Amino acid sequence: MVVVKVHGLTKKYRDFTLSDVSFTLSSGRITGFVGRNGAGKTTTIKSMLGMVHPDSGSVSYFDMPFAGNEAAIKKRIGYSTGTVSWYPRKKIIDIVDIVKRFYDTWDDEAYRNYLRLFEIDEKKTPRELSEGMKVKLNLALSLAHRSDVLILDEPTSGLDPFSRNELLNIFEELRNRGTTVFFSTHIVSDLEKCADDIIYISKGKIINSMPKSEFTQKYSNAGESLEDTILRLEGGVFNA
Amino acid sequence: MRNILRKEMRLSASILSYLFIFFGLMFLLPGYPVLLGAFFVTLGLFQGFQWAREANDIVFSALLPIAKKDIVKGRFLFVCLIEFCALLLMALSIVLRMTVFDSPAYRTNSLMNANFFALSLAFLIFALFNLIFVGGFFKTAYKIGRHFVVFIIVCFSIIFVSEALHHIPGLERLNSFGFDDIPLQLILLLAGIIIFFVITFFSYKKACRDFEILDL
Repeated sequence: MVVVKVHGLTKKYRDFTLSDVSFTLSSGRITGFVGRNGAGKTTTIKSMLGMVHPDSGSVSYFDMPFAGNEAAIKKRIGYSTGTVSWYPRKKIIDIVDIVKRFYDTWDDEAYRNYLRLFEIDEKKTPRELSEGMKVKLNLALSLAHRSDVLILDEPTSGLDPFSRNELLNIFEELRNRGTTVFFSTHIVSDLEKCADDIIYISKGKIINSMPKSEFTQKYSNAGESLEDTILRLEGGVFNA
Repeated sequence: MRNILRKEMRLSASILSYLFIFFGLMFLLPGYPVLLGAFFVTLGLFQGFQWAREANDIVFSALLPIAKKDIVKGRFLFVCLIEFCALLLMALSIVLRMTVFDSPAYRTNSLMNANFFALSLAFLIFALFNLIFVGGFFKTAYKIGRHFVVFIIVCFSIIFVSEALHHIPGLERLNSFGFDDIPLQLILLLAGIIIFFVITFFSYKKACRDFEILDL
């Protein structure tokens, strides 16, 4: 079942254009959104969350257009864009005490489990956390309200290999519970480990959107890893 | 709506926004341009905007499960709450000056008396703060300096003109003392209140439109 539909997103900047970006996300699947730095991943995600106003195109969740249903949709999705960069001098416990009041489905027990798993001390302030810990805090907040769809911008960037592995395992657990996970990354090995579908973006255009198995079948040479395939394709696009 | 206001009060606000409310008590000072009290309250709010900007408050708010216009609403509600607290202190000061403080220092005050006309001008100053500064902020959700400078010029112009008005023949009644000319004073206060609500509502609506199309 399609839970997120992105159709024809276009956004023009002086030196970059996001062109006619369209894809769908299906329920209970992990989709990796891959592309090199500056390919348009963050602009696409911000457009999906209403933080960037596209010149044209539309985004709908659960068959509801985002425009006009923003609050209702945001309650059913979890999202994080990069690391925690807000309220550096407020205690995490005070920030979370405010955040959780916005969600009817906030699960305090799940939140505490994630804090334990990520070894986050909520008496600290965000400025006392390392970049990796900030990513984990953002994830704990995104995961604690039992969202149907999880949208994460570069969640594995800045994480050590152990934390990355933990995180990818969490994605798989969430998928098994029926949650749709959509995450952008430029680390192709993340996709190899857990993605069901791959959306590949280059220079603001979607090059491909398909199941990972179909992607490797279509593009990979014999014995070639997914990372090598994408590097080769990126080179082709780049040289085109 | 209670949640977004709570967020504004506990996370976004600077302590100065709260402390500067007490400048409303400047309405008690004789021989002092009392409307400066209103300006200092807006200065505390300005500090709050600066603090919130440094804390990336707008991005945080945009990630909450609320519509973009609710972010604007929360900020306007908080600003109005601070302004009403200050106006309450000003009103109390006026009542004290009408009933208790009757010394020559108050009776021979060469500057503007703290009466209901002064309170209506405080409403006007706050309305213009909401229009110029708060409304202006949501055009970029980042730049605050230029809008505050424009507000300072407008605010001090109002204070200067207000202090001069009652020296103009025929306008002496604007500076009534105690219970003198109460009907006129109350009509002027009502006009100030109406102007405040109309301008603030207009500013809020425009800020919602500006913020909706802003890329964060």
